[in-house]
Amino acid sequence: MTDYRDNEHIKTLARDLSEKRIDRREFVRFATLLGLSATTAYGLAGKITGEAFAPAARADALPKGGTIRIGNRIKEIKNPHTYSWGGYDSNMSRQVVEYLTFTDEKGATHPYLAESWTASPDLKTWTFKLRNGVKWSNGEPLTADHVVWNLKRVLDPEVGSSMIGLMSSYMLKDDPTQKDAKGNPKQVLWDANAIEKVDNSTFRFNCKVAQVAVPEHLFHYVMAILHPDDQGVFQVGSKGTGAFELTEFEVGKKATFKAKKGYWGGDANVDMIEMTDTGDDPTAAISALASKQLHGLVFADPLQYDALAALPHLQLYSVPTGETVVLRMKVTEKPFNDVRVRQAMRYAIDQGPILQVALHGLGREGQHHHTSPAHPEYAELPPFKRDLAKAKQLLAAAGFANGLDTEIFVPTDLPWGQVQVESAVEQWKEAGIRVKINLMPGASYWDVWTKVPFGSTIWYHRPLAIMTYGLAYRTGAPWNESAYSNKDFDELLTQAEGTIDVGKRREIMAKLEKILQDDGPLVQPLFRDTFTFMDKRVKGFSMHPTNYFFGWKVGLAEA
Amino acid sequence: MIAFIGKRLLGLVATLLVASFLVFAVTEFSPGNVARKTLGPFAAQESVDLLYQKLHLNDSLPVRYVRWLGVLTGVIADPLQDPALKLDFKDPRGDRYFGNFGYSTLYKLPVNDVIWNRLGNTALLAGISFALIVPLSLIFGVLAGMREGSFLDRTISVFGIVATSIPEFASGVFLVAIFVVALRLLPGTSPLTTGGGGWSIASQFVLPVAVLVLYDSGYVVRMVRGSTAEVMNKPYIRTAVLKGLSFKTVVWRHAVRNAMIAPFTVILLQINFLISGVVVTEMVFAYPGFGRMLLEASLFGDIALIEAATLVALAVATTTQLLSDIGYALLNPQIRVA
Repeated sequence: MTDYRDNEHIKTLARDLSEKRIDRREFVRFATLLGLSATTAYGLAGKITGEAFAPAARADALPKGGTIRIGNRIKEIKNPHTYSWGGYDSNMSRQVVEYLTFTDEKGATHPYLAESWTASPDLKTWTFKLRNGVKWSNGEPLTADHVVWNLKRVLDPEVGSSMIGLMSSYMLKDDPTQKDAKGNPKQVLWDANAIEKVDNSTFRFNCKVAQVAVPEHLFHYVMAILHPDDQGVFQVGSKGTGAFELTEFEVGKKATFKAKKGYWGGDANVDMIEMTDTGDDPTAAISALASKQLHGLVFADPLQYDALAALPHLQLYSVPTGETVVLRMKVTEKPFNDVRVRQAMRYAIDQGPILQVALHGLGREGQHHHTSPAHPEYAELPPFKRDLAKAKQLLAAAGFANGLDTEIFVPTDLPWGQVQVESAVEQWKEAGIRVKINLMPGASYWDVWTKVPFGSTIWYHRPLAIMTYGLAYRTGAPWNESAYSNKDFDELLTQAEGTIDVGKRREIMAKLEKILQDDGPLVQPLFRDTFTFMDKRVKGFSMHPTNYFFGWKVGLAEA
Repeated sequence: MIAFIGKRLLGLVATLLVASFLVFAVTEFSPGNVARKTLGPFAAQESVDLLYQKLHLNDSLPVRYVRWLGVLTGVIADPLQDPALKLDFKDPRGDRYFGNFGYSTLYKLPVNDVIWNRLGNTALLAGISFALIVPLSLIFGVLAGMREGSFLDRTISVFGIVATSIPEFASGVFLVAIFVVALRLLPGTSPLTTGGGGWSIASQFVLPVAVLVLYDSGYVVRMVRGSTAEVMNKPYIRTAVLKGLSFKTVVWRHAVRNAMIAPFTVILLQINFLISGVVVTEMVFAYPGFGRMLLEASLFGDIALIEAATLVALAVATTTQLLSDIGYALLNPQIRVA
């Protein structure tokens, strides 16, 4: 393995840091991405800037024993590689089966089952070394063969894993000799050696094109490393490398996890985790916390905030994220095919009041470009302010001097998203834009979300803004719901995806953000903070932007 | 009598057939598709279409209905359990037996593994509530009705109206605010497991039962009161009073039995309400019951589970109706079952 000091990218980063072009957090973030362990990265950052790095509190400082009780929805968990929600299901299997990498709440990616990794200078070859001494619950050691089996499985289109969406651009190609059920060419690994076993504890990605976010992708919630003997099925008795075993599971009711002896990371602090389903009614979870039947929730809804904040034995945990609901306009449909109309829609919006009404202020104002201050590559542009006169002028120029009538499709499964639309509609009215709200059940909305001319769509947090851009705004991407297509944007995005120099990358991001503000298909008033409440007895917990709960991190103090 | 019951049972089977077909037809028009809901919003359209096919959802309505009937009666094997489909649907009872309700696409379990446990939970909640609703309503209803317009009558009536007019989700939240948040006397949810906060299972029943009893007995009290008051105005009561009998004897020996005839049906109807109408209470207290399961199944479009739940609810309704007809005849000898 090469020394990190020889890595050109790390040298660039170190120079950026010493010249204060990036801050320490970003240095750590990108250095870990390139295979430096977080400790080394923090240490190096300290050396460069002269600031000392305080290590996180050690796990053995936490209280031992007890059963921690968490409110969750107990949904089906059988197939981790094809989970589609992440919030509920993966928070159960996550206690038993583990991931190769670990992206923390600040966006830094750490070693997990993989002990270290290195990227080639062209960012096409990524070599991962597995941690020594990791054992499955049956005592068998974890090997590169196990990992390769998992990686090949998620990249098989027949399995239907969402890893394909993340990795297809650099790992797969169309094979014209094979057809899928619909007669389209089947996607296969771009090269027989794309996923390569180097030795018993080393494996390698040989990518088709440069990719900077491979370690991030490996922490995607479907990328759990399962034992090949379990055939991709997760249930009571499944083998795992994690700190717990699943001992009881009943959909809609509860799931129980028992701490395992001899976990490679040191035994968990709590003896058991019990997750209970509190149903669709948000008040039930409040009642359960009030009577101390639960110690906390995996995540809370803004509707529950006031009631939970009033309970003195609870502690609030929150973290800024890139989670947002975009009001996106399909650029191929009238009247949104006119860029002036799209601009007018943005100029008619005042983000501040919407943030208050929809989220009680628990979030950040959006700048209509879908990059959040929580993203490491966020480039700050001058604030995008409401300008009614300009909105009206743009509408008039587009031929809507007497205002505009249109309709927005809104799913009802996300209350705060619905409130956001309602307050935006009030603001649009003042600019002469009359929008009718068409509410539909979530399940129906997800059948048509890429088809409706004007819709309100939730986008969850992703560690890098370029990940969202690639999924949502690149020409022809399957989730490009607004049919947005801009050649300059696509070129700049590809450039950003291959640029490690943060200063340069941020310059590109500024251009990308500006393109979306000027020409883009979205009105995006806010980013939410995700939050939850935990009993003050719960120690060691921190809120993750994707709501992940880690049983091995927490301890439970005496009542 | 036996002929009567036999006829009723035949009627029950006919009702179940018609109702089960209607459920199939109605679900056809409900929005969203099960395959999309199973795979989630972000699954590729191809995977959704594939699962749709595997679940045999593209067959016509009559075909799917007849197949469902065949599976239920054990005539044909459940096609969804075919291992070649890779759906991983396995039923330990086999894929072909009488009473096979099929596979729940929501819970990913055989319907028979989901429904009976839930029904048992709800029957327990309903049974305790019913055991309180009946005596309370009878006592207060008769007390109120025997002297129409008295202070006692007015008090009970006002209380009854107030209790009935507060919906369960509101009274549930009020009771939680008082007994859970302020006084800390009771647990706020009823998962029916011990451990969380050290609350016993019995303590978890107090609030849901209280909500149901308040809501429902207010209504039944009004019915009993009305019927009693009507009977108290009958000539035979006047005669009994004029004969010189004590008021207690008049009420107890002459009025109560006659006053019970109309409320008897109403009381038995409460069983239906308590089985499938408790969904609001179950939601408020996160109670793992039948009503909550039926609601979730309906929102998901889990046809096998909805069908099974509908059949069970209908069977309960028809049985209580039969009981009420028989009981009616026993209370009023003028009526004959035939």
